Amino acid sequence: MHEWALLIFSICVQTAIGGMFMLWLYQRNISKSGDETTFTILKTPLIIIAVLSLIGLGASFWHLGAPSNAFNTIRNIGSSWMSREIVVTGLFIAAACITAGLAILQKKINPILLLVTAIIGFVDIYCMASIYSNSLISGWNSINTFTSFYGTALVLGAVLIASFTVPALRAKNMDDNAKTLLKLSFFTALFGIAIQLLGVALFPAAMTDVNIMAATAATSSLEPYQGTIAIRWVIEVIGIVLLGYMALSPVKKTTITVAFVALIVIGFAEGLSRYVFYVLGS
Amino acid sequence: MVQMGFYIDVAKCIGCKTCTIACKDKNDLEVGRNFRRVYDFEEGSFPKPSIYHLSISCNHCKDPKCVKNCPTTAIHKRAEDGVVVIDHDKCVGCKYCEWNCPYGAPQFSEELGKMTKCDTCLDLREKGEDPVCVSSCIMRAIEFGPIDELRAKYGTINEVKGMPSASITQPNIVIHM
Ligand code: SF4
Ligand code: SF4
Repeated sequence: MHEWALLIFSICVQTAIGGMFMLWLYQRNISKSGDETTFTILKTPLIIIAVLSLIGLGASFWHLGAPSNAFNTIRNIGSSWMSREIVVTGLFIAAACITAGLAILQKKINPILLLVTAIIGFVDIYCMASIYSNSLISGWNSINTFTSFYGTALVLGAVLIASFTVPALRAKNMDDNAKTLLKLSFFTALFGIAIQLLGVALFPAAMTDVNIMAATAATSSLEPYQGTIAIRWVIEVIGIVLLGYMALSPVKKTTITVAFVALIVIGFAEGLSRYVFYVLGS
Repeated sequence: MVQMGFYIDVAKCIGCKTCTIACKDKNDLEVGRNFRRVYDFEEGSFPKPSIYHLSISCNHCKDPKCVKNCPTTAIHKRAEDGVVVIDHDKCVGCKYCEWNCPYGAPQFSEELGKMTKCDTCLDLREKGEDPVCVSSCIMRAIEFGPIDELRAKYGTINEVKGMPSASITQPNIVIHM
């Protein structure tokens, strides 16, 4: 596996996209408590999203053999999904940074900007997945690429925003809101996992066809990684259970540590899953 | 436009890989970077085993997926002879063409940080010579010329067992088994 740059890029940007969507959902709940409170609570996750998108931008340059030619990459919008993806990713990163920057300047979160940025992001994930699904690599040209990418955005976005919002809510004694929002995150993450599983179920059909001379079918490239795939699911389930415990347990106070453990655990699981994805192409 | 292409005589090829080496030498290619490659295919079992060798470089395809998907338009089809070449002033080294060529033709140069591939020895051809794979083959198993002429002479087979489907990119090659 030598696509570390793409792994970091795709995870960071997809998490930022899912996170932006979650922020929009969160602010709908919190906004009743006033602009200032909303800003204090959502400021940190919003900045983290902007930073993640910038890390993604950096990683995408790292992937290029000749970054000085980067501006050429948008010359083939008419037929190349990579060109389209680069334009839309650029738009998302710009929108995310503007949303965060404006929020800091005005000390106010703009819900419309959150929503517009999230929508650009969802279009971007479609473009990202199309790059791979249009390639000739066995296993990439499958619906699984789409479900895996959207799933990552929802799962990681949901747990990221949860873990960085709960501390602020606790500090303001808004435990009821914390519970509602944790539930929101939990069900979003469950939905993300569900579509990933759907993709896995539909995956085998695309695993055997090889369109590149002397290449191996996904079935055999993945053979040595069955253990990794199993571990990934075990860890992911642990993470989701932690999130579910925080969201559904009758205990009113939520523990901040559990939230961060869930984030790390789920982040690691999604990283493993993406690692296995890139094994196919190398 | 005259579309150029290769004729590969699998029946004559003995798999000695002289073409690969001549190409490496001409293009100064380090270990691992091969514009022309020879694949060995084994088939059947006793008492009827068979082995054949297929020499392949870029097939300067009619419908090149590498060109369609390249984000920079660096990899393109020359108007005059349909040869697919890479403009290094544009290539960003994203390797996407590698994932889109059924024949493994694009070969990444770590040193340049850009993609490289067979250009049918444009410099030699300007001097009226053949590409070096053609002139170096001791079995005279490779020919280069306008694909229409090659097809008239040798037929239209462009895919044999072990190769990806020709329908993906419509390669400009003629193969004789
Ligand atoms: S053989 Fe590969 S690199 Fe050459 S034109 Fe066809 S698709 Fe492109
Ligand atoms: S490596 Fe160069 S030629 Fe190949 S797709 Fe990327 S920009 Fe185009």
